[in-house]
Amino acid sequence: MRLLRDAEESSKVRAPTVMKTFEQSLKSQKTVKCMIETRGEKPKEKVKNKKNKGSKKEGTEVVAAPGKASAGDKQPSTAGDREELTKDEILQKNREEFFKRHMKAGEKSSKSPKPEAQKEKGKKPRVWDLGNSNAKVLDYSNTATNGSAEACPIEEFDPNTALGDRNREPGRLYDLEYESDDEAEEEKVIQNPSKPSVKKGGLGGMFGMLKGLVGSKSLTREDMDPVLEKMKDHLIAKNVAAEIAVQLCESVAKKLEGKVMGTFTTVTSTVKQALQEALVQILQPQRRVDVLRDVMDAQRHRRPYVVTFCGVNGVGKSTNLAKISFWLIENGFSVLIAACDTFRAGAVEQLRTHTRRLNALHPPESHGGRTMVQLYEKGYGKDAAGIAMEAISYARNQGFDVVLVDTAGRMQDNAPLMTALAKLIAVNAPDLVLFVGEALVGNEAVDQLVKFNKALADHSMAQTPRLIDGIVLTKFDTIDDKVGAAISMTYITSKPIVFVGTGQTYCDLRSLNAKAVVAALMKA
Amino acid sequence: MAGRLEPHLEALQRELRVSDPAVLSVLLALLVVAITLLIWRFVQGRRSGRRAVLLLGLCDAGKTLLFARLLTGKYRDTQTSITDSSAVYRVSNDKSANVTLIDLPGHESLRLQFLERFKAAARAIVFVVDSVAFQREVKDVAEFLYQVLVDNTVLKNAPALLIACNKQDVTMAKSAKLIQQQLEKELNTLRVTRSAAPTSLDGSATGGPAQLGKKGKDFDFSQLPMKVEFVECSARGSKGEDGDADFEGLEKWLAKVA
Repeated sequence: MRLLRDAEESSKVRAPTVMKTFEQSLKSQKTVKCMIETRGEKPKEKVKNKKNKGSKKEGTEVVAAPGKASAGDKQPSTAGDREELTKDEILQKNREEFFKRHMKAGEKSSKSPKPEAQKEKGKKPRVWDLGNSNAKVLDYSNTATNGSAEACPIEEFDPNTALGDRNREPGRLYDLEYESDDEAEEEKVIQNPSKPSVKKGGLGGMFGMLKGLVGSKSLTREDMDPVLEKMKDHLIAKNVAAEIAVQLCESVAKKLEGKVMGTFTTVTSTVKQALQEALVQILQPQRRVDVLRDVMDAQRHRRPYVVTFCGVNGVGKSTNLAKISFWLIENGFSVLIAACDTFRAGAVEQLRTHTRRLNALHPPESHGGRTMVQLYEKGYGKDAAGIAMEAISYARNQGFDVVLVDTAGRMQDNAPLMTALAKLIAVNAPDLVLFVGEALVGNEAVDQLVKFNKALADHSMAQTPRLIDGIVLTKFDTIDDKVGAAISMTYITSKPIVFVGTGQTYCDLRSLNAKAVVAALMKA
Repeated sequence: MAGRLEPHLEALQRELRVSDPAVLSVLLALLVVAITLLIWRFVQGRRSGRRAVLLLGLCDAGKTLLFARLLTGKYRDTQTSITDSSAVYRVSNDKSANVTLIDLPGHESLRLQFLERFKAAARAIVFVVDSVAFQREVKDVAEFLYQVLVDNTVLKNAPALLIACNKQDVTMAKSAKLIQQQLEKELNTLRVTRSAAPTSLDGSATGGPAQLGKKGKDFDFSQLPMKVEFVECSARGSKGEDGDADFEGLEKWLAKVA
């Protein structure tokens, strides 16, 4: 029993010790003489030790509670100078010397707070020196509330508002009303008046057509809204990101507002026409990326043309890299593949297999004795940016025309990996940065591209940071006509889609046909 | 032939006289409608024909200033066009022929859109080239020119093409001959790279973009189906803003085309 009690007492958390007054502390007991710095460094360290000794003393007292001691020790040591941390051994020595000298005083002071601590087991309210420790003065609560019979003081109690909807059956538990129901109701409410107006519009449309023959009708927002709503839903159904669809419809509405319609045209056809034009324009952005032309240029300057592939996990970077290298070899350029994916298991082996196959398809004999494809790899776990730099200089020495750099897939939210990618691109300054995205992605495309571009811009030191230069759209054969991802990606980056991957074999590489994609998109 | 027709006609007339006059009136009405439709289509076709001369070129080539000079003869400060402008231009000699000059924006994001709209109506194309910045922009100029030349509608109609080397008033301007040589070389490379590009998505596009010029031989402007001419001009004019523009070559060519 006694053992149990002892154990309980020893494990009890002690009450927070009261701060010592100056008389109690060791400093008052020290002589002035020992604080004077006579020698070189030694006294200084001693002075430093004395600075921390106050809390350290407390830490050493409570040896029974080891956790506290370590906390106490660590806190001042980290707060103190850095030098002290490194000179731990010197500290220990000095501490021992010090304690030997002031053992008596230390025991005295250590004993005095101990009994005090044992006395004050219960929590004692904090006593402020300045203010009155009068609890009554500080109590601002109403005197009448506690214990009084009335539930609330003289507030107005309106039973109607308190109970809410009187029409509810008493005692019945109603289901949770979701916000979406309200929205659906609102939509229905809106649609109902619009339906009769559409019907009227049907008749009016006929007259409108006849009117169109005679006069001219200009488009207003109200005319376009129902059509635009329908088009927006249609676009979203075709896998265009929701915000992009909204923005597109907004811009089309703004463009068409006040436009005079020609004869024999309905609002729907005008809006569809304008939307189609806008989509075609989005898919044919500014400068067309002509890889072969740029490779020829680089060839003339005797330096390799560097292409970097980046993207999230599992979009098809390595597969499409192999397809693009096949295409380049067909056009007579020699390719060096840099395996900068040092993380994923089997990444290097995958590229090695591709290299072997490509060399089998295009043996060196048919190209004047030089190997068209070579793999540059340094195994797993190494720094990707370093491998890329070595690969580029190797290509320059050996006279390769193109270097294709394969990076590891990474999520756009993964900050350290995004930093690593940005570093790779900033350091190696590739000629073309291709973002590989799959056509199956929906609203995620927006987030991916925005975050990738942001990471590349943030971590670049240059004035004009290298951003994504082009997009490779992969797995296009898996979507029938839900080609909206193409729109989302080009809208966000305003960079062209350079290649489209449509399968697993080497020949499944296409270029984008804007009109065909838009036709598939607008098809009912 | 006529002999066989006459008895038929007589039989028809007899039948018509015999039957209700209502049928006759219906037939007459139909005939009138058919003739009206024919005339209307003929008139429309004639009106909308190919009477447009397009002014194409890169941004800042001088198309809008050339347009203003041709129409008004006066100098005008211009901004980058974002939309097309069209006006009827009466040729200077007394032929009383007129063509519609259409000035299209040269900005990369707009040029293809406007080209699509107006290429069908093009009777002739004036491709304006900035002779001063040509060395720097030769790739962009060639790319745009290539896009214009391989367009299906353009190949079908084969409008006359004039490459106007603008800004000749500046001393560093390249000559038309040099521009022609450079363009030919660049287009030669371009047709190789463009035809080697991966095929289009739906596999159609008639087996890739059309082949420009003859295979096997270096590209030459004479290999094109349309007539190509090079002319030097200066929209600003040698005397600056007050004087006239130097584009007699351009005007002569316009007179020829109209």
